[in-house]
This record gives sequence, C-alpha cells and structure tokens, in this order.
Amino acid sequence: MAALIEVKNLKKYFKSAAGMVHAVDDISFEIQKGETVGLVGESGCGKSTLGRTLIHLNESTGGQIFYDGRDVTTLNKRQLVEFRRDVQMIFQDPFSSLDPRQTVQDIIEEPLHLTGGMNREQIRERTRELMDTVGIEKRLRMSYPHELDGGRRQRVGIARALALNPKFIVCDEPVSALDVSIQAQILNLLMDLQDQMGLTYLFITHDMSVVKHISNQICVMYLGQMVEKSPKDELFERPLHPYTKALLSAIPTTDIHHPKQRILLKGEIKSPINPGPGCRFASRCPYADEGCKAGVTLNEALPGHFVACNKAKEINLL
Amino acid sequence: MQDKMNQASLFQVKNLTVEYHSGDSIIHAVSGVSFDLQPGETLGLVGETGAGKTTIARASLRILPEYSVERVDGEILYNGEDILKMNDAQLRKLRGEHISMIFQDPMTALNPVKTVMSQIAEGYKEHHKCTQAEANRRAIEMLEMVGIGADRANEYPHQFSGGMKQRVVIALALACSPKVLIADEPTTALDVTIQAQVLDLIKGLRNELGTAMILITHDLGIVADVCDKVCVIYAGRIVESGTKEDIFDHPTHPYTQGLFAALPDLEHDVPRLKPIEGLPPDPSQERRFCDFLDRCPHRCRACKAFAKDSMIEVSPGHYSRCWRTGSEEA
Repeated sequence: MAALIEVKNLKKYFKSAAGMVHAVDDISFEIQKGETVGLVGESGCGKSTLGRTLIHLNESTGGQIFYDGRDVTTLNKRQLVEFRRDVQMIFQDPFSSLDPRQTVQDIIEEPLHLTGGMNREQIRERTRELMDTVGIEKRLRMSYPHELDGGRRQRVGIARALALNPKFIVCDEPVSALDVSIQAQILNLLMDLQDQMGLTYLFITHDMSVVKHISNQICVMYLGQMVEKSPKDELFERPLHPYTKALLSAIPTTDIHHPKQRILLKGEIKSPINPGPGCRFASRCPYADEGCKAGVTLNEALPGHFVACNKAKEINLL
Repeated sequence: MQDKMNQASLFQVKNLTVEYHSGDSIIHAVSGVSFDLQPGETLGLVGETGAGKTTIARASLRILPEYSVERVDGEILYNGEDILKMNDAQLRKLRGEHISMIFQDPMTALNPVKTVMSQIAEGYKEHHKCTQAEANRRAIEMLEMVGIGADRANEYPHQFSGGMKQRVVIALALACSPKVLIADEPTTALDVTIQAQVLDLIKGLRNELGTAMILITHDLGIVADVCDKVCVIYAGRIVESGTKEDIFDHPTHPYTQGLFAALPDLEHDVPRLKPIEGLPPDPSQERRFCDFLDRCPHRCRACKAFAKDSMIEVSPGHYSRCWRTGSEEA
C-alpha cells in the first residue's frame, strides 16, 4: 500500500503580540490509502491547525506535505483547485459550519456548481443520491440548518464533503458536539462510507474511546509536537510516553467494580509561545530531570511504535 | 423512590414540572421529576442535550429565566422548606450559603473585571458578618484548597487556564461551605487529564466537608467515578433511578440500556456501534404514551396501554418507567 499523505517536518507558527505561537512544530507522519489515522491531544495542542494546514487551508511555515507523491506546498492556483477536489473537511460544529441562509439542497449542491461540468438535472440527481447516502430524508431538501438537529446537520456537512468524490477527508472532531446515541450513528456512517468509497481519513478528536473505535494508527500530540505514534492496539496496550499513559488512565470508565488507577498530572500546560528547546511535557512529567530540558526527538522504540521521550527506555524497561 | 421519601431528606424535589413558552408553543422541559438527597450523598442526573437536566438545576436555585418560563409546579424542599415559595430575602440567604452551583462553562461564570480573590470574598462577606480582611483571608484559603497559590489571588480570570478557572469556580461555590452543591457538567469544557484533576478535587472536598451533591452530566464514566445514586432522564422525565450499582449492573429501561450500548468500548473492539435509532421527541408536543416509544427496540402495541406516569420497582429502591420491567427480560 502506498502512502496517500506524507508529511515531513511540517511547521505552522502564528504571530501574536507576545511572540511566535508554535502551533504545529516539526511534525512528520504518513497516512496509507484507505486507512484512518487518529490524531488525539488536548484542546490547544495544535490538532486542528495540523488538519487545516495539511489540506492547505493554512499556509505552512515550513516542511513538506505530499499528496499522492506531489508536494502540496508548491502547487500553483490551478493545481490547488484540483487538489481541493480530492481533499475535503468535516467540521466540529455542525451549527456554525453551515450557511444559515441556504437550504439543505443548496448547501450540498454548492460544490457541484463551483466545479462545473454538470447540468442542472445532473446536479439535482447527484444531490438526491448524496442525501440518500448519508441518510437525510428527502422531505428535508428545502429545510434550513436551524430546523435540523445536530446529528442531521452533521449529515449535511458530510454530504457536502462527499459531493465531489474526494479521496481524503479531514474529520475535525465530527462527533464531539453530538450526544452519545447520535454519535454512534455518525461514527457508523463514516465507517460505512470508508468501506464503500475507499476513503482515507485523518480523524481529529480528544475522545480516546472514539479514536480507538475508528482508527488504524494513532498519533498523540502535545503542545504542537508529536509525542507518540503507533498502531491502535499497540498504543492502548503499551503506551510508552508518560503523557499518553496519563491520558489513557484519565479516561472515565463505566466499569464500577474495577476503578482505574489514575495517573494525576501536576502542574499546568506550558505556553506554546516561544516554547524553546526541550521536552514540552517536562513541566508536568513525573519522570522529568535536567536532561529533558535539552531536547527530544521522535524515535522508533518498538517496531512501528514511535515515541518522543528521552527516558522511554528507562520508564518502560525496553 | 416516590413514596419512601421521608422527612430526613436534606434536599428533596417532588413532582417538579417546568414549562417554557416559545413562540406559540409550550415546551415541556421537565415533567413530574422527583428525587431526594441525604447529607453527604452524591446524585447523578444523566441524560442527553435537552433532556431537562440544567432546567432542574436552575429551578432548584430559582434562577430559571423568568421571561420564558410559563409554569413551575411541584415542590423543591430544602430542610423541609419549599424553595419555590421563598421570598427574595430567603432566597438570598439560601443561595451560596446553603445551596450553591458550579456552572458548566468556567469562561463565562466569572466576572472578568474583578480579581478572583475579590469575587470569592464578595460572596463570603455577603453571608457572614466579617471584615473585608477576613473575607479575603477566606478567599485565599479557598484558593489554596483548590490548588491555586496565594500569589495568584490578585489576578484576573483571563490570566488563568481553563482548568484553573474551573477550580476558581469551585472555590467560589464552596466558600460558604454549602450543604448542597449542584455541579452542572463541571468538567465538560475541560480536557481529560485536567478533568481527572478536577473530579478528584471535587471528590476530596465532598468527603472533607460532607457536602451533598447533585452532579449533572452526560458522561456515564464520570457518574461511575463520582456518584452514589443515579437518575436517568429522558425527554424531561426520570426513566430510571436507583443506586449506581442498580443502574450500571442492571440497566433496565431500554433507554438506559441503549445509552450503555452506544458507547464505544475501550476494552472490547466491536466492528459497529449500536446507536439508539431515531431522535428525541419534540418537547413542544404533548405525548400520550411512553416518551421513548418511537426509538425503543422492544416497542409493541401493549406499550400504548401503559400509563406513563407510573414507575415500576425493579428491586428495592430501583425504579424503571417501562411496563415490561419485571414482566420478562426486557
């Protein structure tokens, strides 16, 4: 299998009054065709920025992004239009990502009108087909977003993303705003679509049980950097980074008879403004020492399992 | 749960009904909700968006939005006194000192132009005859209890991170050592590692101060961690209630069962999740039959013969609003 997306040393910095915000700092990974890579981390760690930079919604500060072997950061305008046909995004908040003054039909049709090549009748037909695919009743064709509940709105967002037959979709917290009973409906839909259309996903979330359910590979981010990257089962069975360990131990479980031993982190998250060298997790890490201030790199600690921690060997007795 | 309520309850809600008006229609937000709370106990109110959880919490402190409330019925008893009948002076005394609330969003629950110390001291001074210096001392004590150093007491809310702001809100809520604490989704806005810190803090303080607590959440994992008793709410009604063990070991109402089944399981991989089909009912429609009827996998014609106002006792103290309960394995 070939990598559909390959990211090399990607950086995205933002200017702020206080200095440079290192939102995404030197991140490398790849996504195989037809696979789902889950991207997890706390709010503000740069997950969404990474997703947006990946499909060139943000200009990157440095590094390269290869889509199907071509470097996206060097594409000209015309090539970008083509690229954007293939990559789409599903947003977190189905309440603000849909135009309140457009009907469901208008929203789904818009990308079809923009790219051209279809007449009115074909567009109508395609829209009907898409509504069917994502499970929106035909009678809602002329409804406005405010008339729909969260689950249906998210379905409209998915239909719009699918309109141009994309190959790669960045799903940015697509179920975080939904209730569990509805969340399960949308997760099932996304997985069915992947099977039917061979889609490739980058799935951004902060919910560990959701990411475990949907992903093949998982990347864990902390303050703009990738701290661990591994196949799904391996990560849950054998987390190597102290942050991942704490994250997994903090997931509330519904098993009332076997309460988990939680690793409680002390301290607060460091500021992403001019963070300087050294491990960014060190201020909260129970194992940190002087050596951690020098810097860390992402290394392959076990086959296919990468971790950015100087003390990973020591902590995990590898 | 209905008839064994006794006078010893610290806090008791009886048959609470709240309706809002919206345009020409009436929204039935909460219908006939009853529960009670003993000193030191933690009750979890679980349900989805729009189930009426926050309305129950706000009604308990009489802070419902007056302009949209159509009707509030029932009784909310604190130490036997009906909060719904209290006058303004009594309410002022009640709020903060006897019952206080942790709000969902720490970003909007604090006053941005006052230092965190002065916000906490303000409430304390209101309820105690004391000097400003004493109130400030209390504020610093509270901040230290939630893990914020005295050196940060003179800072403003925007200088704190989300998790720290929520800790300030908790310090604020506990400053007068209330007997009842209502926590409305206290960790929903926080990340899991910070959530774990805040939940531990709440549990520790509850054990230390003996505060009774109503915890409102949609996260069953948090309920498992913190609560003694649970009420599952659907479409404004309690559909199942009992001890934590009752609900987690023997979920009986089809909605409760559906909630558990819809969660992705960390321990066992399943190829597909089992969502609850359909959507919650329209709260502006009066429903004659079971609220869950349209989504229930066990529905049958007999469901329409059952009066939805009654609950069935599954085992002592464990109630379910489904007629099939006990008649067969539902």
